[in-house]
Amino acid sequence: MSIIANKDTRVVIIGGVAGVNAAKRMAQFDFLINRPLSVQAFVYPPEKGQQKEIYRGGELNNISVYATLQEALEENPQINTALIYLGASRAAQSARECLESKNIQLVSMITEGVPEKDAKKLRAMAIKSGKMFNGPSSIGIMSAGECRLGVIGGEYKNLKLCNLYRAGSFGVLTKSGGLSNETMWLCAQNGNGITSAVAIGGDSYPGTDFVTYLEMFENDPETKAVVMVGEVGGTLEEEAAEWFGAKKRRIRLIAAIGGTCQEVLPQGMKFGHAGAKEGKKGLGSARSKINSLREAGALVPDTFGGLSKAIKQVYQELLAEGSIKPEAEIDDALLPELPLKVQEIMKQGDVIVEPLIRTTISDDRGEEPRYVGYAASELCEKGYGIEDVLALLWNKKLPSREESEIIKRIVMISADHGPAVSGAFGAILGACAGIDMPQAVSAGMTMIGPRFGGAVTNAGKYFAYGVKEFPNDIPGFLSWMKQNVGPVPGIGHRVKSLKNPDKRVKYLVDYVKNHTSLHMPILDYALEVEKVTTSKKDNLILNVDGTIGCILVDLDFPEQSLNGFFVLARTIGMIGHWIDQNTQNARLIRLYDYLINYAVKDEREVPEKK
Amino acid sequence: MAKILEGPAMKLFNKWGIPVPNYVVIMDPERLMQLGEANKWLRDSKLVVKAHEAIGGRYKLGLVKIGLNLEEAYEAAKEMIGREIGTAVVRQVIVAEMLEHDAEYYVSIAGNRDGAELLLSNKGGVDIEDNWDTVKRLFIPLDETPSLEKLTETAADAGFTGEVAERVAKIASRLILCFDNEDAQSIEINPLVIRKSDMRFAALDAVMNVDWDARFRHADWDFKPVSEIGRPFTEAEQQIMEIDARIKGSVKFVEVPGGEIALLTAGGGASVFYSDAVVARGGTIANYAEYSGDPADWAVEALTETICQLPNIKHIIVGGAIANFTDVKATFSGIINGFRASKAKGYLDGVKIWVRRGGPNENQGLAAIKKLEDEGFDIHVYDRTMPMTDIVDLALKA
Repeated sequence: MSIIANKDTRVVIIGGVAGVNAAKRMAQFDFLINRPLSVQAFVYPPEKGQQKEIYRGGELNNISVYATLQEALEENPQINTALIYLGASRAAQSARECLESKNIQLVSMITEGVPEKDAKKLRAMAIKSGKMFNGPSSIGIMSAGECRLGVIGGEYKNLKLCNLYRAGSFGVLTKSGGLSNETMWLCAQNGNGITSAVAIGGDSYPGTDFVTYLEMFENDPETKAVVMVGEVGGTLEEEAAEWFGAKKRRIRLIAAIGGTCQEVLPQGMKFGHAGAKEGKKGLGSARSKINSLREAGALVPDTFGGLSKAIKQVYQELLAEGSIKPEAEIDDALLPELPLKVQEIMKQGDVIVEPLIRTTISDDRGEEPRYVGYAASELCEKGYGIEDVLALLWNKKLPSREESEIIKRIVMISADHGPAVSGAFGAILGACAGIDMPQAVSAGMTMIGPRFGGAVTNAGKYFAYGVKEFPNDIPGFLSWMKQNVGPVPGIGHRVKSLKNPDKRVKYLVDYVKNHTSLHMPILDYALEVEKVTTSKKDNLILNVDGTIGCILVDLDFPEQSLNGFFVLARTIGMIGHWIDQNTQNARLIRLYDYLINYAVKDEREVPEKK
Repeated sequence: MAKILEGPAMKLFNKWGIPVPNYVVIMDPERLMQLGEANKWLRDSKLVVKAHEAIGGRYKLGLVKIGLNLEEAYEAAKEMIGREIGTAVVRQVIVAEMLEHDAEYYVSIAGNRDGAELLLSNKGGVDIEDNWDTVKRLFIPLDETPSLEKLTETAADAGFTGEVAERVAKIASRLILCFDNEDAQSIEINPLVIRKSDMRFAALDAVMNVDWDARFRHADWDFKPVSEIGRPFTEAEQQIMEIDARIKGSVKFVEVPGGEIALLTAGGGASVFYSDAVVARGGTIANYAEYSGDPADWAVEALTETICQLPNIKHIIVGGAIANFTDVKATFSGIINGFRASKAKGYLDGVKIWVRRGGPNENQGLAAIKKLEDEGFDIHVYDRTMPMTDIVDLALKA
């Protein structure tokens, strides 16, 4: 048997993340004892309409989140208990609603830091309506083999270690969450486990008191003894002593009281629990509590460590007098194992999951991203630049100082070519149509292809091919190209020619040849090819795509990466154009009629449909 | 529970119409002279100067001076401000009007589970403890306001007569308003004085505790609570309080000078039992500490380092019950880092460490901290099968 929570308990949890986490823990217990899910609904307005995934063992349940308690109760009339996980400023109002509702009989408040006045009023309200208000600052209520309210009892393994899958003979009452868990463990280790455990919370004015629960335990035939953990402050323990001593009680009482150390500590010193403060003239002191409990006939050890022995002693006595029979040991192996998540099984090495993708360049599972193993912040610290990151991620190696200077110049030179070219124009059109930056820029990006900026890869590829297959035979290379590819990528320009050279090409060639010590065989080859092609037609010069392609292959960048330099560099320009248009508040544009040749048929009648 | 200083208490009294003497709080004596030019009462009245700090026994320490004129008050303020009392420094003084009065009364109100209790006595002042049997009590149920007639009756009961009884009742009714509306937990006015010539009343001294948890509904609370332990907080205590204020869960720390056993304990309930066990076995604690609610590992690390720096400690008790949801592995990784850093800074020489804990990831947490043995720490690690406070017995026997 149990008190307060049992197999019929059905719960609404009020609150966000912490509440969902509690629901998961509660579902683990439901699984352990094979009862239906105790949590039936959540109330949390910011997430109304959502469903939370709660696993009971391997069974997935979707629990709805409602905006109001009323809606939750209308759809789930079986709910009789509420757990409050809201923050301190909203918890009291929510508890009030629960106490006012006709369905809910028990409200347990987990929230800490609730103002005393609010807690006092809730207590009064609960008493008036004949309901229970447990908490605030309660870790929850546990009824072995029946129901778990809150995270009391901790992890799954601990639920088993504390025998919580079946009822024992000890009731547990505490002000402290941690000690309720500890005490349940002591009852399992030195006795046969618990019936129910209630954490009333450590605040000054909890909604319930020890006597209320002692009465309930007294009336529960399966509870033979109660272990009560109290502390300095308030008079709940004295009241419990008075209750216990008032007449012959069926249950035994074992108690531990914390706070005797206060006798030697600075006056007024504050302990962990808000309620742990000594009253005037010794009343409420740990000593006064211990004395009154001992006088009333309770077993009170000197230290918490002494509880083990006390529980064992009482258990032996109860066995000896025959009021409890020795429990058959439950084989742990018969209890269900919580199904593990894939991640957990993998950690133990019991399952192999083939990865879906493979990556060789970056990893952000640690404290910060690592690029091919190097921490991003360390690269910054040691003076590396964006060109080095680019080389790391595209080519998986750090370039030398000379190499990264070239990469930097290539990106700088390619960053923008004015608004008229297809890419920039696309991005500007997008900006004028009012679309957002990523979409406008990607509209420009889609222009990159064989006729606009897309020749870098092929130039690098074919000039490298020429160096390899036609090292000293440029005419041979050109005729092979003509036969198999067509015009040589990287050669030729619409407006630039020998007489009107491309400054960017001149600059890059001059830079790599005269300001670095790097060997550039493919660029040299391309320049030789240019000599031949320009002798045929003076605009068949090595263009900027061709120059960049050759240099990059000479720098050992993979062929597939070459167009990336144009994509990256030009993104800078396109973003600039988008910002520029937006800053100017550009209007929607459409082409002027005179820019279009409407080569369509004259106006005519639509024929009848046959 | 949050004790507030006289100045903020007086301000709240003013707000609710409870008579207080004129007063100013100053940090700089020169400021008093400026205020003297602007305020007639500072020039004309006898003044009292008190250190405006949470220091117990101020009178004996010479931190209360009475019967002064403005010049003397200036000198007294100058003498007090900057004085060091133990680890504390006087930074502010309160200068108040000293009222010539004919009688001293006692009025207080304190919350209890079912409401509050009002206490009245016409024998207030320093001897109130000796006259405790003259105190009359009135229970005020939750959400009820006693009528003026009822309060006058209680005042009459306490020996007040005629107009004085009516006035005391009126002050009491305002005190109840202040108590209720300001989320107070207790207010004690001793003495409440009266100058019969003009029937002027004033609360000459106030001890007020407010519910700090209710601060979210008091936008006008421009004060901070002060230490309740008879001395201001130390720097280390303040640092831990600042961390506590910004994390999920909590870390708490109070120094107890002279102790040999340092506590690094978890849980509001268990930490008290560990302190008890030390005292019960004849040991002395160097601090009270607690972490709970699954705090971040760095917060526990900071707490650990603070504890390792306590002077003259011989043992550190890393104690705790079986946690419900505080991750033992994560919080222990903070403790381990704290121990390592402290050792590197030269602390922990000859200090024995005793560990007992359970809870989520207990095996990993305990295994990790046990490895400190290999790094030369004198550490003794126990799991849940060791009764909780028995590591204290082991430490004291070692």
